Amino acid sequence: MHRNIIWMILIGLANVVIVLLVAPFFQGVLRKITALIQSRQGPPVWQPYFDLLKLLGKEDIESGESPLMQRFAVYLSLATVLTIACLVPMGCAAPMNAVGDVILLIYLLTLCGICTLLAGLAAGSTYSLLGISREMMTMIALEPLFAIALVVGAVHTHSFRLDTVLNGSVYASAAFPWSGVIMLAVMLLSFQAFVQRVPFDISEAETELMEGPLMEYSGPKLALFKYAQMAKLVIYSALFVTLFVPWGSSLVFPLGWLVFWAKVTGLVLFVTLVAATHARYRIDQAIRYFAGLLVLALVALVLASYGY
Amino acid sequence: MVAREKLNLLKGKFGAAVQRADMPCDERLFVFVEASALKAVCQYLFRDLDARYVISIGMDDRPFSGHFLVAHDFAFDREHLLCSVLTHVPADNPKVDSITDVVPAANWAEREIYDLIGIEPVGHRYLKRLVLPDGWPDGVHPLRKDFAWNQVPEGFDDTKEFKFDEPPEGCTVVPFGPFHPTLDEPTHFRLYIEGEMVRGCEYRGFMVHRGIEKLAESVLTYNEIPMMAERICGICGCVHNVAYAQAVESAAAIKPPPRAEYIRTIMLEIERLHSHLLWVGLACHIVGFDTMFMQSWRIREPIMWIAEKISGNRKTYALCVIGGVRWDITPEVKDELRGVLDKLEAEWRPVVAAVSKDKNIQKRTRGVGVADRNLVKNAGLVGPVARASGADIDCRRDHPYAAYDRLDFKVIVESGCDVWSRVLVRANEVFESIKIIRQCLEKMEDGPLHLSLKDELPVGRFGLSSVEAPRGESHHFVITGENNRPRRWRVRAPTYQNLQGIPAMIKDQQFADMTISLGSIDPCFSCTDRLETIDLRSGVAKVWTQEELIKLTRAKKA
Repeated sequence: MHRNIIWMILIGLANVVIVLLVAPFFQGVLRKITALIQSRQGPPVWQPYFDLLKLLGKEDIESGESPLMQRFAVYLSLATVLTIACLVPMGCAAPMNAVGDVILLIYLLTLCGICTLLAGLAAGSTYSLLGISREMMTMIALEPLFAIALVVGAVHTHSFRLDTVLNGSVYASAAFPWSGVIMLAVMLLSFQAFVQRVPFDISEAETELMEGPLMEYSGPKLALFKYAQMAKLVIYSALFVTLFVPWGSSLVFPLGWLVFWAKVTGLVLFVTLVAATHARYRIDQAIRYFAGLLVLALVALVLASYGY
Repeated sequence: MVAREKLNLLKGKFGAAVQRADMPCDERLFVFVEASALKAVCQYLFRDLDARYVISIGMDDRPFSGHFLVAHDFAFDREHLLCSVLTHVPADNPKVDSITDVVPAANWAEREIYDLIGIEPVGHRYLKRLVLPDGWPDGVHPLRKDFAWNQVPEGFDDTKEFKFDEPPEGCTVVPFGPFHPTLDEPTHFRLYIEGEMVRGCEYRGFMVHRGIEKLAESVLTYNEIPMMAERICGICGCVHNVAYAQAVESAAAIKPPPRAEYIRTIMLEIERLHSHLLWVGLACHIVGFDTMFMQSWRIREPIMWIAEKISGNRKTYALCVIGGVRWDITPEVKDELRGVLDKLEAEWRPVVAAVSKDKNIQKRTRGVGVADRNLVKNAGLVGPVARASGADIDCRRDHPYAAYDRLDFKVIVESGCDVWSRVLVRANEVFESIKIIRQCLEKMEDGPLHLSLKDELPVGRFGLSSVEAPRGESHHFVITGENNRPRRWRVRAPTYQNLQGIPAMIKDQQFADMTISLGSIDPCFSCTDRLETIDLRSGVAKVWTQEELIKLTRAKKA
């Protein structure tokens, strides 16, 4: 039993280290591919590592309305993201068994958004407040989607246990798995919003809100926020792959692991392509779009509970 | 004929109030009217004869005629006529009837006349300071002839702040600018926001007013001014360069050689190409579509190179002198230019095809920043903004200059009144510009580049010139003068009118649409005011004043 717990902790830690290591790399890939699409040479794929190091080495300036909250928001943001990393399988089986249920994961995902709200409140300027009001609206429309996706998984596996849901499949049903397929479509269509990229980077919108909630951040704190955002891209991709594209991940160790990361890379490329070929939506247009997806997701939930 | 017709109409309606008239050619009309009839005449021209308001000019004419002078310029676009209504204002009582009531587009111009010359537009409802800096003392008017160009007025107060109007109830104030990622130059909008909706705004601009007109009429000479005029704008500088030269030429009745006219046309169109491609890129950047931004600027780059090959500069071509141009287009450049145009056309066509089908861009631009025909008329909007609202005006066709009367091109008009229509107008105008340059290269004849002018230019003549800049009509008004320089030179850039339409365009629409609405007129605003340094050892904050900064920048490093 004790060995088991130590083993779980070790795998969780390994996950955190993996996420911290590969997140800037994926950001680098994203930037490089974006540059190629835009007929630019682009920075080397290792550039985000140097960017983070450079920012971390800068002076730690306290600014905004409440500097303490500003600091707290960024620590909490990174901590939340890394906690999620402990729970999500990174190419192996779910690391923690019997330690929590999907509700915990849903809460943690919401907490990520709350950190952005705190950051915006701490800055206290008109632009950051506009940013958080947009962030809030997005959260209200968006978070239920992921929650439903996890609940659909829970319905299929007849369990709320996190590892059971993540190791199970949304496609596990006797008949054609309608609910799983619908949720796959819904999540794919809203994925840009979860990772806060164009066309749904509405709450930061550089050309409108001057980065909104992040506007007062600089130096090490900005580095941590950026790090959290990069990690978010990896974690959401991993979650998506685990829930919706599970095929091939169960192969023997190096093979299944490689297939998993190949799928994550594929998803990052998808995000890059969409971001490079779209204009930003306005908040009202985005909310209407999310509302449509939410209706679809609810349909999927009903179908799932009837066994489809 | 047209000029005489209009004059007869005016004489028939106002009789003796029309004092005298000047018709140097059929496309220009200068009418002197009695000050008391000024408002009625302007109303008649603007409302009954449906003239387009261009600009108002004030002038300190006291050393010459003993009066102040006020002129309102109108354009009859379909009839190819530019018309100026002038009146003398007594020196001891500089007041004139405001025409803003009947011609709303004159709002800024009249406030500017009040600021700079001190002629009060009686009956103007909102005579708030427009151009002068906040600390400038009241009652000092820098464009008067007894005020030296380098004089600092007594009582200049660096610390005085601008007083803004009270925001409407229930609205929060969002400061937009002077520094914002989508503003390339400092200007300030105080937006009144309710939720995400813009309910109104107040504008405070002219932060980098450089007094170029004052310099021109007190320090520079006729042939130095084009170089200065070019520096009015960093993007459509050549337009001002040409417009000034043409205004002086029209006042002095000089006609530049045909080859010079073709070269002017080519450079103006090269400038339009680079400006439109730049704009499409920026507009896409504003709505978050950076790929189009990068591609558009990549396609634009060869235009900059060919401009450098012709003039020695990517921008700021230093093209005109009075009576001609300074650069030739050699056979070698001619071939290269043709190649650049072919490549540009081949690359731009698929871009336009892709953009015009893109639903995503349309979502952000359709129905946004709407300027209806009424606003176009009343605010005097020009250029792509007017053409996107169905107003078929283009100075290249309506008031032909340079070689445009010998060329065949289409005026692109759309009817959506929104940002999307402005995108379409600009994107398609690129093809027309390519067509124009090709025709010029074909038709251009050999000959001298400029006249050799031996005599002094005549004194006290009026000259008007309208040039279609990438952003709309750029209008120059010149009165020739002594000492080899004009007595008065008034520049009206297209943004001067288009910016006045912005409050109506952004009202009652989302804050997110503010930047693209403002961007859609392709605004042209230039600049450090003050900055703060903190001594780390003592922790003392020091605010640098503008004066200290200027001293710092001018100090020679030892």
